[in-house]
Amino acid sequence: MTKGKKIAAYTFLTIVSFISVFPLYWMISAATNKSVDVTRGRLIPGAELINNFKNLLAQYDVGTAMLNSFKYALILTILSLLICSLAGYGFEIYHDKIKDGVMSVILLAMMVPFAATMIPLYQLFSKVGLLNCTAGFILPTLSTPFLIMMFRQSARSFPHDIIEAARMDGLNEFQIFFKMFLPTMRSTYAAAMTITFMNAWNNYLWPKVIMTSKTSITMPMLVANLKEGYVTDYGMLMLAVFLCTIPTAIVFFLLQKSFADGITGAVK
Amino acid sequence: MKAKRVFAGFLAAAMALSMAACGTKGTDDTSKKPDDKTAGSENELTVWCWDPAFNIYAMEQAAEVYKKDHPDFKLNVVETPWADIQTKLTTAATSDDLESLPDIMLMQDNAFQKNVISYPDAFKDLGEAGIDFSQFAEAKTAYSVIDGKNYGVPFDNGTVVAAYRTDILKEAGYTVDDFKDITWDEYIEKGKDVLKKTGKPLLSCQSGESDVIMMMLQSAGASLFDDEGKPSMKDNDALKKVMETYSELVKSGVLVEVNDWDQYVGSLTGSTVAGTINGCWILASIQTAEDQKGNWAVTNMPSLTSLEGATNYSNNGGSSWAVTANCKNTDLAYDFLKSTFAGSVELYETILPKSGALATYIPAGESKVYAEPQEFFGGQTIYKDITDFAAKTPSNNTGVYYYEARDAVATAIQNVVAGEDIDSAIQTAQETVEFAMGE
Repeated sequence: MTKGKKIAAYTFLTIVSFISVFPLYWMISAATNKSVDVTRGRLIPGAELINNFKNLLAQYDVGTAMLNSFKYALILTILSLLICSLAGYGFEIYHDKIKDGVMSVILLAMMVPFAATMIPLYQLFSKVGLLNCTAGFILPTLSTPFLIMMFRQSARSFPHDIIEAARMDGLNEFQIFFKMFLPTMRSTYAAAMTITFMNAWNNYLWPKVIMTSKTSITMPMLVANLKEGYVTDYGMLMLAVFLCTIPTAIVFFLLQKSFADGITGAVK
Repeated sequence: MKAKRVFAGFLAAAMALSMAACGTKGTDDTSKKPDDKTAGSENELTVWCWDPAFNIYAMEQAAEVYKKDHPDFKLNVVETPWADIQTKLTTAATSDDLESLPDIMLMQDNAFQKNVISYPDAFKDLGEAGIDFSQFAEAKTAYSVIDGKNYGVPFDNGTVVAAYRTDILKEAGYTVDDFKDITWDEYIEKGKDVLKKTGKPLLSCQSGESDVIMMMLQSAGASLFDDEGKPSMKDNDALKKVMETYSELVKSGVLVEVNDWDQYVGSLTGSTVAGTINGCWILASIQTAEDQKGNWAVTNMPSLTSLEGATNYSNNGGSSWAVTANCKNTDLAYDFLKSTFAGSVELYETILPKSGALATYIPAGESKVYAEPQEFFGGQTIYKDITDFAAKTPSNNTGVYYYEARDAVATAIQNVVAGEDIDSAIQTAQETVEFAMGE
């Protein structure tokens, strides 16, 4: 690459990265400004962070919402990873015609939008008494076709020789899964974990329908509440959005490297 | 075999974790439920509403008022955004399981008829509650009356105000009185002048929204539906006149369209426009710009030129309290509403200064608190003025398909501004609504 080309490329990349980082910057700077300054488009950080924080804590139960969101998202991620990876592994390693057929039916279920099943699901959950509780939150998305497919694809690249060798050495099928497959597929698990955690954390529609009590509110629901009144406190709103973004950002940055590996394939 | 047991143990532990989490909540709920139905049901009401600075505050103050005579009374407010109330109501009513609904919910006036007509079993007719509905402005109660029965206790006021920046008007050689009792033609004339002299438009609004259109329409006592609930946009002289006026406003530059609500509020606080026309609740957003204190004044909106029944008064927004069919203790709910929102001037006096929640309860308008001059508005007695406007507002016919019609009209006006012929745009809007209604 010539020097001129390099300069052009870097200029272009700088501009593009500036555009993509700007909303993030603005969110943080707006969280430190007064509402009226935000509406006037003030870009530099102000001195209102503490006030916004005080107002937010005084008017809303942020602690409960954070705790709930963490609880729901963590439990869902752990269970969902376990169940979907077992299913994906099983579909690939022990595959036959019938299982492949079942797999296509599962994939078909991916095409059904959630909104279409929401009302019957609500009826079911309300009858069983699962409103306002963790099980109600996690059950509908406990096993998703997408995750099963992801694990099935990555199990495809898992060498059959290893399984044969393990069987020779006297490991049973579950031991093979936990001792051979699981450690090898660490990056796939990391990718799946990032996706599941983010989806669970950001899930809005379903918790909105089943969480009717004050004590089971989640962070996205709290943020939505902030924009409802006749007057919006934009500084406070941005602070809440910022708080709501932190956990997913942390999870993503921690697992970033494995995430990229997991998407491209675990076994090289 | 050992691995199998280990695995089973692991899975069981994970399941137990989720169930335990549910279990604690579950037992919580079961321990609460008997409360709700025995001890709680005698004295406790659960209410859904959405704004801590406004209607939640008002509800809590109402509870304080009620507690004076009923010391055991308990209020449980669950903050629920309006869109969520609608979703939860739809889900509960369509699945025939009203258990999750509260005793009282706050409902947007525009959605009141739709919800009561669509889910008649979800609400209580307030006929036997002993509330004197004649004490409220008629245009207001009309939103929550279905087949002659009252289903809602009116709460906040959506009376339209025209608010102007007196300092900007002064720069152009006008006072706010020049904008009182005028027609839209005069408004456009003066607006052009203000624009020329100060570079600022008189009005801003969200493009793709029909608020301004609907306010104009209601000011002439017109609706998008006839008395039988059929769409009446075609051959509707008022609608045509409104469309013409709006497109003239945009073309002359007197009205500037912005992309979203936040930008709209920004145009007011950021001094890029010289005024606004909206429901009186917009004054709360205006007052966040403390440095503009004394530079605002309020008057009535322009009327539609040469149209029969045209007035300078209209309504945008507002909400009313509804009692749901899930309410186990209707006597308490009725008595609570009757002695607070439909009977306590004191309540309205308490909530006005802090929340700006204007009543539609007529006796409240005569109170001293309402007649106090407001410094932000240059010493004008805006609350009294607005209450006067409310009494003169013509009523509006909403019906089940109000929101569909609003959206269709919003699309139509965008097309008209872009150059489409008004008649054909209205024709399309009418067909869109008829299609939505399945006719």
